[in-house]
Amino acid sequence: MTLEFAARTQLGDFSYDARFEAGNEIVVLFGHSGAGKSLTLQLIAGLLRPAEGRIAIGGEPVFDSATGLDLPPQQRRLGYVVQDLALFPHMTVAENVAFGMTGAGREERLGGLLDLMHLAEYRDRRPRSLSGGQQQRAALARALARDANLLLLDEPFSALDESLRVELRRELIRLRSELDLSVIFVTHDLREAHLVADRLAVFDEGRLLQFDGRERVFRQPANRRVAELTGVANILRGRVAAAQDGTLTIEAGGSSLRAPVPNGWRPGEGEVVDVAIRAERVNLRRLDADDPGQPNLVRGTIREELGYGATHTLRFESALGQPVEVEIAARPYEVLGVAGQKSWTLELPPEDLHVMPVSSESESGAPRASATTA
Amino acid sequence: MTALHARAPYAGVGLLIAVFAVFFLLPFAGLLERGLGDSGAWDAITSDTALDALVLSLWTSGVSLVIAVVAGTPVAYWLAHARFPGKGAVEALIDLPIVLPPTIAGVALLTAFGRKGLLGGPLDDWFGLTLGFSTVAVIFAQLFVGAPFYVRAARAGFASVDAQYERVAHTLGASRLRAFARIVLPLSWPSLAAGAALCWARALGELGATLIFAGNLQGETQTMPLAILSAFESADGLTTAVAMAILLLAVALVALAAFWLLSTRGRGTA
Repeated sequence: MTLEFAARTQLGDFSYDARFEAGNEIVVLFGHSGAGKSLTLQLIAGLLRPAEGRIAIGGEPVFDSATGLDLPPQQRRLGYVVQDLALFPHMTVAENVAFGMTGAGREERLGGLLDLMHLAEYRDRRPRSLSGGQQQRAALARALARDANLLLLDEPFSALDESLRVELRRELIRLRSELDLSVIFVTHDLREAHLVADRLAVFDEGRLLQFDGRERVFRQPANRRVAELTGVANILRGRVAAAQDGTLTIEAGGSSLRAPVPNGWRPGEGEVVDVAIRAERVNLRRLDADDPGQPNLVRGTIREELGYGATHTLRFESALGQPVEVEIAARPYEVLGVAGQKSWTLELPPEDLHVMPVSSESESGAPRASATTA
Repeated sequence: MTALHARAPYAGVGLLIAVFAVFFLLPFAGLLERGLGDSGAWDAITSDTALDALVLSLWTSGVSLVIAVVAGTPVAYWLAHARFPGKGAVEALIDLPIVLPPTIAGVALLTAFGRKGLLGGPLDDWFGLTLGFSTVAVIFAQLFVGAPFYVRAARAGFASVDAQYERVAHTLGASRLRAFARIVLPLSWPSLAAGAALCWARALGELGATLIFAGNLQGETQTMPLAILSAFESADGLTTAVAMAILLLAVALVALAAFWLLSTRGRGTA
């Protein structure tokens, strides 16, 4: 199962432009509200029509502005769970689920689907008498009932408490492998995105900023904006002092950082760059007289400290001339005795440093992001 | 009993409600008292005049209702969803017959469909077709005053159905017609039934426009309200008028009860 998607459109002041594809996997569309995530689902489903672009489901085009093709929603084979679920209130669970079913063996398939989603005992209940989790499962079952291999989910777990979310996520990942599904999953929750995504599409203000494997997006954001959106606490400004053998040496405030040359982009000497490192990737070391002057080791003093129980977030004033945030688990925090010591050496491991272009307008660091094609 | 104490200052309101209730119930009591106490009532009800009028009233108002529903439903659906300049004016125009005095409606219908009317003139000249003072005119009058009640209620009913349901139905493979039949219709059913009841009741009670546009011919244009009026104006006609009024009242009550059952059954599944 595949989805090929490319669309450009303008809605009032909002301009939208994105291009990605999905195979048998869960693609998470991630971004703040109003970034264009739900809009993407509506374009795929045919509820909105882009100004131009091409959309193909399983190799079959359903929209193509070049040929004027625009199949109505009822002729696009997909399952769509909208954010507010929109279960038909006047129908039972079974009637809801069976609504999109066609052909022979309906009763049998309905039974199978209700079993699969653990809804068999609620089949004659009306939606409003179900719990939030049961409603979510009913909406999911209804979307699956069309036997579509493309599933569009708009914040499907948003109304649920944490335990239900975990259960439904597990169910979704199971379904993906059992039913050969392509799943397009919209969320603004970073943790949820991390948990379910095979690949991640980061949206911001109608633009697809980066589309990559999950780890790649989290570890190697295409630009500063992606880094900010995916929760990278440290984005350090520096200047490239040397570039050789796949390693960049970057000067910042009198300290130097060594970092690998990013994929698809090679900054020149003297170029100003941003260096990203996640807070949990920075190591604390006790002060050592040999440290100053060594690359990737930076002196820092704790200026602020927030305890979250399982983790501590420390804000350092650093020799980089810029603040550095460090997240440390409770156990090493105690073992190191962080509470009684303000001055530390911060180790920023080269493999955890990611060099990005300064301007988020420059897309050269994001070879697969859409805006380059605009 | 603190609740009662809290309500004490509103005793005046209670009195007002009681007076208001008496005002509305007393006429019905009077009707029943006069009708049931008069031995001539049964003869009056079973007279040819009364039965002709009743049959005519029932089938013409039924036809009016069917036309109002068949033609009014698409209009109401369109008005509930379309956005266009001048929509307010269109809606006001459709509501106009509701506030228009029926006699004005009758005159207006005459000037449009009467023998010398805008459309009635050519019809008469070219095809020898005369609409005025016929049973068709009765239906026209009923439709003109009654249909807006249905369109108005149906429009509100359709607008109250979340558009998201229809969109989801489309993504589940439902055509527009199927989405309407399976989703919109059941969800707006109480409004449609209430609108239909109002439309039919208004058609059944139509007097002024019918009198002017259709006349008062027994068996052809003399509906129950007209028959009651005629009886009332004849010598010693009050007995007959009261009897026929009770008959019409009973028929209307039965029909409205049926509408009410229909609408609550729809609501029960909503």
